[in-house]
Amino acid sequence: MANPIPSACCVVLAVVVVYAQRHSQQDSHIQYERVGADVTMKCGSMDWDAAVTWTANGTDIDDSHLNGSYLILKNVDLTQSGQYSCYEGSSWHLKYQTNLRVGVPPKEPVLMCRSNNYPKGFYCSWHLPSPTYIPNSFNISVIHGTREMVCEKDIFPKNRCHIRYLQLFSTVKYKVTLTVTNALGKNSTTLTFDEFAIVKPDPPESVVAKPVPNNPRRLEVSWQNPSSWPDPESFPLKFFLRYRPLILDQWQHVELSDGTSHTITDAYAGKEYIIQVAAKDNDIGTWSDWSVAVHATPWTEEPKHLTTEIQIIDPHLSQRSGDNLPQPPPPPPPHSLRTLPVLSLFISSILHTLRTYHASRHRCGGGQSHHPPSRGTCPKKPRR
Amino acid sequence: MLNVAGEPPGDSWGIFAFLCAALCNLPTVPALNGTEELGAGQSIQKTYDLTRYLEHQLRTLAGTYLNYLGPPFNEPDFNPPRLARAERLPSATVDLDLWRGLTDNARLAANYRAYSRLLKYLRGLDSQVGTVELRHRLGHFCSSLQGLVLSIAGVMSSLGYPLPAGPAGPPPSSGTPAAPNDFLKKMDDFWLLKELQTWLWRSAKDFNRLKKKVPPAVVTLRIEARGF
Repeated sequence: MANPIPSACCVVLAVVVVYAQRHSQQDSHIQYERVGADVTMKCGSMDWDAAVTWTANGTDIDDSHLNGSYLILKNVDLTQSGQYSCYEGSSWHLKYQTNLRVGVPPKEPVLMCRSNNYPKGFYCSWHLPSPTYIPNSFNISVIHGTREMVCEKDIFPKNRCHIRYLQLFSTVKYKVTLTVTNALGKNSTTLTFDEFAIVKPDPPESVVAKPVPNNPRRLEVSWQNPSSWPDPESFPLKFFLRYRPLILDQWQHVELSDGTSHTITDAYAGKEYIIQVAAKDNDIGTWSDWSVAVHATPWTEEPKHLTTEIQIIDPHLSQRSGDNLPQPPPPPPPHSLRTLPVLSLFISSILHTLRTYHASRHRCGGGQSHHPPSRGTCPKKPRR
Repeated sequence: MLNVAGEPPGDSWGIFAFLCAALCNLPTVPALNGTEELGAGQSIQKTYDLTRYLEHQLRTLAGTYLNYLGPPFNEPDFNPPRLARAERLPSATVDLDLWRGLTDNARLAANYRAYSRLLKYLRGLDSQVGTVELRHRLGHFCSSLQGLVLSIAGVMSSLGYPLPAGPAGPPPSSGTPAAPNDFLKKMDDFWLLKELQTWLWRSAKDFNRLKKKVPPAVVTLRIEARGF
C-alpha cells in the first residue's frame, strides 16, 4: 500500500501553488501612469455593463468615477497611487487588481566624474535633479577611444561607480554616458574629459592647530595628506591654507608647495582663529574642497589679580564720593607679576583722574566744569 | 665633501660608517665633486620649472592656433578618433607600472627623444601659418622647447648617462607622406599640439620623481659601480 503521508503533502502543495498563481496573477500587476494622464481601468474580463464595485486601498469608489464597469481617473496626481481592486457586484468576487503608481519620466540626470586617487583611476557619481516617484534604473558606459571600459558599481554610495586607469598620460578623452530609464521614459547625459582635467584630491585630513607657548602671535598648524591619495611620493600635493580671526570676515591665504605643517606668525593676540586647508596635485587638476575647520587661539598670559591693587592704591575712594561704587567681581588668582607695573600705572592714572574730578566737585559745587580746579576761586554755593 | 643629504640628524654612527666606507674606496672612485651632485639636483629642478613654464605657454599658443584652424578643432568637446597618421608622433601614454619602474636613465631618455622629435615637427609647421602674432608665438615656443631639450641633455650628462643617438625615425619632412588634403593637415597639427600638452604634463611627473630620487642615489650609484 502506498504511503498516504507523502501523497497528502503533494495534494496540499499543489493546492497552494495554484492558489498562489491565481493570486499572483492579480496581485503582481503594477501599472505606471504619468502625472496628469487620464487612466481607464477595465475590470478584467468583465463586460462593460457588468455590475462591479471598485475600491482604492480598500475604500469604495463611488459611481461618479465609473463608466459602466470601467474606472475612469482623470488627470491623475501622486495621491492617487495605490491598490485598485474590482469586485463583481453580488458575489464580491475579486476580478481584477492593480497597483497604480503615478510618476513622471526622468529629467536629464546630473553626472559628475572625478579622480581623487590619481593615478589609480576615477569615479563617477550621479543623481536625478527631481524625483520621479517610481523606480528608475541607471546604466553607465565609459568609452576611451575605441575601447569600452567597465565601470564597477560601488555598493556604497549607491549611485556611484569606479574605473581603474589602464594607461597613464593618455591623449584620448574619456566619454561617459549615463542613461536613466523608468516605465514612463528615459533620459541621458554625457561627459567628455581628459585624464588630467578631473583630478581633484579629497581635502587634507587631521588638521590640528595649536598655540605656541610664549608666543602670543603664533599658531602651529599641521595636517595629513588625504588617505585616498595613493602615491604622494610620485604625485606630490601642494596645499593652500586660509585663516582668519572669528571676528573678521577677511581670510588670509598661504600657498605651500610642500610639507604638511605651517606656523602662522601674524595672528592677533588673544583672538580665536578659524583655519582650513585645501590640497591640489602639484601640476594638474583642481583644488580640493576646504578641510574641516579647526579653531585655535594663540597663547596668552594669564590675567592678574585686580581688586587687591585698587584697595592698596586708594583706600579713601569709597569714603569720599558718597556714591555706592559697584563692588568688583571676585578676581581670578594672580599668576604672573609681569603685567603688574603696567596695570598698576593704568589704574593709578584712572584713580588720579577720579580723585581730581571729585576734588573739583567739592570745591566748585559741581556743574561748573568749565572752571579748571587750579583757579582756586569758585563762587560759593550751598552744599547739596 | 660627500653629500650626505637625507641622513636623519643624530644618526652619527651611520654617518661615521658611511664616511669610513667611502674613504676606503676613495682611491678607486674618481674625485666626487660635491658640486656635481648639487648641480644635477639643481638642473633637475630647473628642467621641472621649464616644463611648467612651457605648459603654461602652450595653453595660450594652442588656444590661438586652434582658433586659427577653426571649427571643429577649437571646440572643447572635439574628440576625434586617432588616425594611423598620428601614430608617428611620440606618445606619452604608458602603462602605470611600467612608468613607475622606469630607471632614471630610461625616464630621461624618453623625455629627450620625445621633445627632440616634437620640436622637429613643430619647426616643420607651415611657416606661412596664420597671423604674424601667431608665427611669433610659435617661434618663441620653439626656442623655449629647444631650451628644454638642452636642459634634459644637461641633466643626463651631469648624471653620466649617454645621450640617445639622435631622434628615432626619419625627420618629418622626408619620411612622412604629406597630408593629402587641408583637413588632414589640420588634424596633424591638432594631434601635435595635443601630444605636446600631454608630454609636458607627463614630464612634470617624471621630473618630480627624479627630483626626489636623484641627489642621494647618485653617490650610492657611483660607489656601487666601483664594487663597494
